[in-house]
Amino acid sequence: MIETWPGHGLENERGEKVMPWDYSEKVLQLFRDAMAAKAGTHMGSIDDPDGIGSHGSLSCGDALEFAFKVDATEPDPRRQKIVQARYRTFGCTSAIASSEALCALIEEKGLTPIQALKITNADIVDYLDGLPAQKLHCSVMGAEALQAAVADWAHKRNIPLSELGLDAIPTGEDEGRIVCRCFNLTEPFIRRKVKELNLKTIADITNAIKAGGACTACHHEPGGLQDILDDTWGRSDSSQAATPAITDPQPMPQTSSSMTRTPFQLAREVDRVVESDIRPRLQHDGGDLEIVEIRGKKVFCRLTGGCQGCKGAPQTMRLVVEDALRAKVDAELEIVAI
Amino acid sequence: MNDRIIYLDNNATTPVADEVLQAMIPFLKEQFFNPSSTYPQARKAAEAVEAARESVARLLGAGSKSEIIFNGGATEGNNSAIWGAARANPARRHVITTAVEHPAVLEVVREMEREGFRATYLPVNRHGMLDAADLIRAIQDDTAVVSIMHANNETGVIFPIGELAALVKKVDPDVVFHTDATQTAGKMRLDLQGELKNVDLLTISGHKLHAPKGVGAMFVRRGSRWRPWQLGGHQERGRRAGTENVASIVGLGAAARLVMTHPNHSTAMRDRLEKAIKDQIPNLFINGEGAPRLANTTNVAFEFVEGESILLALNDHGICVSSGSACTSGSLDPSHVLKAMAVPFTAAHGSLRISTSMFSTDDEIDAVIDVLPTVIARLRAISPYWDVRTNSPRTDVDIFIQGKYR
Repeated sequence: MIETWPGHGLENERGEKVMPWDYSEKVLQLFRDAMAAKAGTHMGSIDDPDGIGSHGSLSCGDALEFAFKVDATEPDPRRQKIVQARYRTFGCTSAIASSEALCALIEEKGLTPIQALKITNADIVDYLDGLPAQKLHCSVMGAEALQAAVADWAHKRNIPLSELGLDAIPTGEDEGRIVCRCFNLTEPFIRRKVKELNLKTIADITNAIKAGGACTACHHEPGGLQDILDDTWGRSDSSQAATPAITDPQPMPQTSSSMTRTPFQLAREVDRVVESDIRPRLQHDGGDLEIVEIRGKKVFCRLTGGCQGCKGAPQTMRLVVEDALRAKVDAELEIVAI
Repeated sequence: MNDRIIYLDNNATTPVADEVLQAMIPFLKEQFFNPSSTYPQARKAAEAVEAARESVARLLGAGSKSEIIFNGGATEGNNSAIWGAARANPARRHVITTAVEHPAVLEVVREMEREGFRATYLPVNRHGMLDAADLIRAIQDDTAVVSIMHANNETGVIFPIGELAALVKKVDPDVVFHTDATQTAGKMRLDLQGELKNVDLLTISGHKLHAPKGVGAMFVRRGSRWRPWQLGGHQERGRRAGTENVASIVGLGAAARLVMTHPNHSTAMRDRLEKAIKDQIPNLFINGEGAPRLANTTNVAFEFVEGESILLALNDHGICVSSGSACTSGSLDPSHVLKAMAVPFTAAHGSLRISTSMFSTDDEIDAVIDVLPTVIARLRAISPYWDVRTNSPRTDVDIFIQGKYR
């Protein structure tokens, strides 16, 4: 892997450092089977599915579309078993393996949609013989997409969501204030998952649903992850919350003010001469000049437009720009082309 | 599974060359002496260190071998260079670097911010290139040090260090200019008396040019402001204390001679690889393609697939490469370099870095050309964003807004 990654190296469920590919044999096997399109794997779409749902997004780095068909020969929709479960997944090895696991769990047990709802992310992790802590969100994604698909099926069959215990989950995906801006996760969603998955620390939250895993700004800001944890579990419970320090690697550039060093008058004079003498001549040839900075008597500038990359550029700088500025502003000016 | 290893991750590390290893062995065995010892038996070790210094000075085009300080690698070198320059300019409290540096520079500058320095992180454009105007404008009255990498480890984009250093010196000759040349030493001609004559400090790492890990060197121009970082002994003229890592230093010298006799990396291999995958795989782009790049580095972004899956699938064919994907690391954020370049979110997670060395072969490139299109095609078939029938992105992906129940 590229050696620039902060915090590279994952942890297993016991908190031991493991290599990124220290997946269980089961995870690797499911991934390889899916890659080889082996018989019995579940990758694919279903035309006219009885239930379909998705979770994740392209910008988050993983997404899953889950769909199923039920046995239509059974007249009572509540007793129809899922006969075909399929997924399409964008994501890492464990995301693809988790999707296979979800479909296999459902098909192997011949579950109805209502029974399938009982599958949790922990069942998926068990089926996979474990996942590294940082990859747990892959299994959570599977459980979320399953819920969405069953909700879709219930909607089509006119089965009230309350009967399925899904009414607590607002359709429209937990609309509300966005807490984790990197992964676009809302406060209601995070609160729900904190309770459902018994998440006690910020690191738990990040591992399970990715929230707080990128820029980290939401960790301790008002209304952020720590506040949600404190609010849910009480302050003392979560005060030990620790999280890897992954800081935003891209602070905004600052630029200095040159005012203190550059006499305003000089800058204005330079501008005036550029406008009156230099620019018209350059524009005549389809070019232009940008004054980048003036430091002391040094004028940093560059030719743009048609002059850019022109073989005669150094000469133009000297004969047009330097001569005019020295003659009309200050004979000691030094022109520095950039 | 495949027993053959196709190693194309040479920007991460390189294998130790045979001649390097052979040069080192005597200094791990019978020539084990401490070069500082006074008895004549130790003289050979001391002489070997000096011969290596001469070779490294020639590799960098330095004017004098006394400007070369051996150390423990580029991370140490970067820490030492930046802190040492700042401490030699105690009245100055501002540092300039770029948003795309290796963490061995970025983390140092962040730590300086925590200690009260102010810092400017220069942005890059879509091609990964800096704007010299941003650099000039960023220089303040109390700027102590400017640290800008020579070439980026992830994309191979080369910064015009000679020009940038000259501009900095024009604005203020007392600003110390440092460059991390980890990725260029041995891959490009370096000339510290010519093109790079305005560079004060330059750091390199042995293991990127077929020397062992844990050894590197720093160039400190005679007369430049810099204070030693590691104290506690007279070694390296008091500029880097600690008994010399003689065998590894000898290895670094041998590696410097080796890469100098090897012609400059040709872009032929890289260009052939890039053309072949572009011809066979839709929806990809080469990161940094619009900028000058190292001849050995290809950073390619595949839309709608995720990098870690690509790595694992390629590794099942024995191919070792790396990715800027978040999933290959403990972080969930994709590469800070690709983010700084504003690589579209459809591809930020699907980047792959392929980096050759002087020992890479056409057969190895052929293996990648052979396997990669199949791997990408299959991962796209699995991806919900891809339409296999048209072999193009699905047009109805707006249904994929995060977690919407339909």
